[in-house]
Amino acid sequence: MSTLAERAVARTPRRLASRLGGLSDRAIAWLFITPSVLLLLAINIFPLLWTIQLSFTNYRANRPNAPLRYIGLDNYRDILADADVWHAMQATAHFVLWSIGLEMLLGFGLALLINRRFRGHSFWTTMILLPMMLSPAVVGNFWTFLLQPQIGLFNSAVAFFTGADPSSFQMIGDVALAPWSIIMVDTWMWTPYVMLICLAGLRSIPDYIYEATEVDRASPWRQFWSITLPMVMPFLILAILFRAIENFKMFDMVNLLTSGGPGSTTEVASITLKREAFEKWRTGHSSALAIILFVTVFGAANIYVRALDRVKQR
Amino acid sequence: MSTVTAHSVAEPSSLSKTIGAIIVSAYAIVTILPLAWIFLTGFKTPTDAISYPPKIISEPSLEGYVNLFTTRTRQTPDFLASLPAPQTWYERLVRSRNMVIAGPSKVVPRFVNSMVIGFGSTFLAVCLGTIAAYAFSRFRVPLADDLLFFILSTRMMPPIAVAIPIYLMFRNLGLTDTKLGMILLYTAVNVSLAVWLLKGFMDEIPREYEEAAMVDGYTRLQAFFKVVLPQATTGIAATAIFCLIFAWNEYAFAVLLTSGDAQTMPPFIPFIIGEGGQDWPAVAAATTLFFLPILLFTILLRRHLLRGITFGAVRK
Amino acid sequence: MSGQVGRVLQFPRWLRRGPCETVAMTLIGLGVVMLMQPLSLDLYSYSFVTILVGTLGFVIVSHFPD
Repeated sequence: MSTLAERAVARTPRRLASRLGGLSDRAIAWLFITPSVLLLLAINIFPLLWTIQLSFTNYRANRPNAPLRYIGLDNYRDILADADVWHAMQATAHFVLWSIGLEMLLGFGLALLINRRFRGHSFWTTMILLPMMLSPAVVGNFWTFLLQPQIGLFNSAVAFFTGADPSSFQMIGDVALAPWSIIMVDTWMWTPYVMLICLAGLRSIPDYIYEATEVDRASPWRQFWSITLPMVMPFLILAILFRAIENFKMFDMVNLLTSGGPGSTTEVASITLKREAFEKWRTGHSSALAIILFVTVFGAANIYVRALDRVKQR
Repeated sequence: MSTVTAHSVAEPSSLSKTIGAIIVSAYAIVTILPLAWIFLTGFKTPTDAISYPPKIISEPSLEGYVNLFTTRTRQTPDFLASLPAPQTWYERLVRSRNMVIAGPSKVVPRFVNSMVIGFGSTFLAVCLGTIAAYAFSRFRVPLADDLLFFILSTRMMPPIAVAIPIYLMFRNLGLTDTKLGMILLYTAVNVSLAVWLLKGFMDEIPREYEEAAMVDGYTRLQAFFKVVLPQATTGIAATAIFCLIFAWNEYAFAVLLTSGDAQTMPPFIPFIIGEGGQDWPAVAAATTLFFLPILLFTILLRRHLLRGITFGAVRK
Repeated sequence: MSGQVGRVLQFPRWLRRGPCETVAMTLIGLGVVMLMQPLSLDLYSYSFVTILVGTLGFVIVSHFPD
């Protein structure tokens, strides 16, 4: 059975093995945890501290030899008074709120239907799950093809159902429609995520609770509001928080679908950050924005972990 | 159990089941349609792919795949006539477009990069994650909750927020656009997922197994290798697939830190260009080939999907 | 025994982990709303400080006894 493990042990040089074998549990614990923590310190925490340091300077990565000046909180002051960045935050909010709202509605609805366990439900569930496993960047790229005004599938499908001329609207090129195209693609991609978590929530409700209300002759409507929804709520909150964090920092899909355009209508926070950091090369300035985004995500992550604990207790 | 009434929630009525089946399958078909369209586009000629109105059925063609794997140059008819007759079907296809094959395209090296970086980072992340998860699962680690949160929070970081100093760091260390740099980076991102997922799996293995082995004279390490690891095989495999999918799909770091030698597929695919913009059949062909492994993995992972997307918190 | 009593006395009810965490989480949530609301540039300007205080507060408060 354990041939692989035996070989692994056999390969460890005997002296080393006996020396390690004699280690106390405490030593083993540290020996096992330290490599992961060191790697994370080197590749995540060290860059983060560096970002904090850079955010107090006027550094520009494309001019490494220019004199480095510490300018205190000026970068933060600039960004937090900058109406353009504020508009980017609003664009982010529009994207986050609508995509999460739609994903909740569709995902929860689908989960309720799938939970009826009709024949073939597991096959259809797998089909529905596919989009969320794909690369957001590649997805964003091929949706630019599907959303082309004349040759694209989407406009033709809309034209087929409404009778409108397929070239009469542009999902990506139009200022009014572009924000909705990123919401639509995100909803297409991440509804399965919400659905899967809601389904887990629904399945965690023991049948006897429903059977008890059955005796009370509660209407299905009341059953939904008084049992199903409250019982699924911790799962729903988990899904909302995670999608909110992910969409708040969304970069890849939007970068390839609209790259922030037309103009800056779909310029969400991460796109602004990329433009500041890697197109305008204002490294210090963009580091301050990066820290603002990071602290926001970190704060939300704290709440997310609380939500995880609540679900785990179930 | 057999006395459950027909309209009980435990067993929905057959009408409500049918309605559910119809709506869910309709949604699934609409969801799959864009993917099916990309798959079909890969087998169209460039003209058919961008025809107006879009053609659902067109003459099948492998031009997209040929264009994906080759670079071609346009030649004058006189020059083409002076060449020897084409030997293979793909040369004939390219020749019929008044072009000759100039050489292989970059797609194969990019695909190899994706695989090397994906497997390399997955292997490292799973090795580090397994031992760390074991320690968190079995020993009383001081500040364990804080350490675990610290580990998780690194995965929550917006990639662009740390991309600037990582870019500077890689530039100083000479790791820009190297596979080693990308492997280290993806290992760091994946190790957090691996620790959380594997801790969940390890918590489910009864401690009694190792304790019995240790009573039999095994040391703690031997018990770990001979008893715990074989028990955790499924969990390790599922975790590995999740790490692999992340590394396979990652774009933000890849586009900012690689440009040539270490470039992976996601930043490469949007830049498959033909004459006058993106060569859509070739892009669709690349997308199809890129998605196929994921399709396989999704089916393999079905039972563990929920764990993976909730960092091991939701088990079933 | 006396140690336990002392501890309870040291940490009055409103300083326990639960309610403090709720306050910190509310502060983070408020900050996020301030960051992304479309109404007032001043609120936006003070959003980061609010989130920062909420987050640091949460990290500290989550180590208080239950």
